[in-house]
Amino acid sequence: MTQIITDVTAPVSAVTPTEKTRRKISVRTILIYALMILIAITMLFPYYWMAISSVKGPRGFTADPYSLIPRTFSLESLQYVWGAGHIGLYLKNSLIYASIVLVVQTMVNALAAYAFARIEFPGRDILFLAVLATLMLPYSVLLIPTYLIVWKVGLANTMAGVVIPGFASAYGIFMLRQFFLNIPMELEDAARIDGCSRMRIFFQIILPLAKPALITLGLFTFIGVWSDFTWPLVVLSDSTKYPITVGLSLYRDQQVLYYDRTFAASMYATFPLIIIFLIGQKYIIGGISLTGLKG
Amino acid sequence: MEEPTYKRRSWAQQPSKWISGYLFAGPAIILIVIFSLVAIAFSLYVSFFDYDIISPNRPFIGLSNYKEALFRDKLFLKSFKNTALYVIGVVPGITITAFLLALAGHKVRWGRDAFRTIYFLPSITPAVAMALVWVWLYSPKGMINQALSMIGVQGPNWLMNTRWAMPSVIVMSVWMSVGYYTVIYLAGMADIPNEFYDAARVDGANAWQEIRHVTMPLLRNVTSFVTVTLGIFAFQVFTQVYIMTKGGPGDATVTLQLLIFRNGFQYFRMGYAAAISWLLFIVIFVLALIQLRGYRSQQLF
Repeated sequence: MTQIITDVTAPVSAVTPTEKTRRKISVRTILIYALMILIAITMLFPYYWMAISSVKGPRGFTADPYSLIPRTFSLESLQYVWGAGHIGLYLKNSLIYASIVLVVQTMVNALAAYAFARIEFPGRDILFLAVLATLMLPYSVLLIPTYLIVWKVGLANTMAGVVIPGFASAYGIFMLRQFFLNIPMELEDAARIDGCSRMRIFFQIILPLAKPALITLGLFTFIGVWSDFTWPLVVLSDSTKYPITVGLSLYRDQQVLYYDRTFAASMYATFPLIIIFLIGQKYIIGGISLTGLKG
Repeated sequence: MEEPTYKRRSWAQQPSKWISGYLFAGPAIILIVIFSLVAIAFSLYVSFFDYDIISPNRPFIGLSNYKEALFRDKLFLKSFKNTALYVIGVVPGITITAFLLALAGHKVRWGRDAFRTIYFLPSITPAVAMALVWVWLYSPKGMINQALSMIGVQGPNWLMNTRWAMPSVIVMSVWMSVGYYTVIYLAGMADIPNEFYDAARVDGANAWQEIRHVTMPLLRNVTSFVTVTLGIFAFQVFTQVYIMTKGGPGDATVTLQLLIFRNGFQYFRMGYAAAISWLLFIVIFVLALIQLRGYRSQQLF
């Protein structure tokens, strides 16, 4: 390991200490960059591979599946999976599920978080503790009973059955409550003196102030529902209701001979999220950084 | 948790005021009670029955489901070992890689955000799609074996080889999640004041000593968060295994969550599946407690 301190007692030589230090740092910087670029290539390679394989076209792919630079270009695979491969339908379903959960969950969470932060009602602290306690329950242990509950009320294999269990999130309530607690009480008091109702205060003062927190949680919710595989896999049996993840998994079994289609379908599942991530990056990265530090 | 305005709610003392509390929190509380509290109780209840959703006859069988898993079902023991192997590979694999990536990322000035975005990408794209791409990368003539053949190594058929299937799933999982934890470490490193490093430098610390005696101890809380969270998620691994190997070859990659899925939704043995999920829950809970306790006893300040 190179040393970065400047050794003031070193004998003066042709290379002055500061120059020496600067050169050593730059060698190390180059090594660090080389490593980081290598890893960045590793991270991006599967995406590159997916993208080029989906535009080689069925014949182009069969003739030349391994080349890193496509020699043929065709949108045939992408067009095929969209229609005959039902990817268009699956995408529409995913969009419906993710949007419904996003809207309802944000509302349900925000209302509850506001109540836990600002309204005093009997049993509030116990109820909040109960909500927090559910954060410790692993997904695994909830999967079977959630299915049984949904099945008992007749919602198995329905679109409602896919979304309803996601309508509230203890994690979202917890994060929003923290945010609401930091909004100065004076803002609300002033509105109350002016005769505003609770609902109006909530919608016109609290929600606009909480916009960054709501956007962050909303992005997590949307991405989470879009990427979820296990729940729709168990609750749905009718393939016309499949979201993109479950629809995509069918390609693993049935289309071994048509890898170009698998890659084309994966493109459709992946790209909407990449775009959302690039647009909402600031909120997503900020939200995750916060989680780690709070933990 | 600071609650500066906690005591200023004199207006909220009349019943007509606190009704709104229930109205606001009501929908969330009902949903959480049903899908978490009722669900967890129902799961425990079901685990004592031969609960089959096809036949209406569901006799109470006491602890038989648990006994079957622990003493008779060889696949349970096998999948427990497989899951443990996965956890042992993934938790240190991701923690160490994420720490090193964050160290490197923290040092560079130019392009830090771009690197962070690239490393993070696999964390927000669907695991199903990524697993499908990796199936192809791992195929006998796939990119990984082509790269190996360039240095004269003949790679195995990764996912169809009992010895290599689980390590392959582990490597893919590290690739998929390392960026998420790198972001958490980067945020932690950004929070360390420069004075600590200046002090270390004055004392003549070299780069390694700085990492060992400044960065690592100050990030102890972050590391404890990362390993505990990762451990909890890793024990429940499902999607990658379901897509890439379906538990095979043989039973080399059957994990506990895959076993729960098979019993519950392919054999419709809900009671048995619930019992396995409770055993998994107990393991996760105990290990998380031990880890947290370990970190607390090592706390320096």
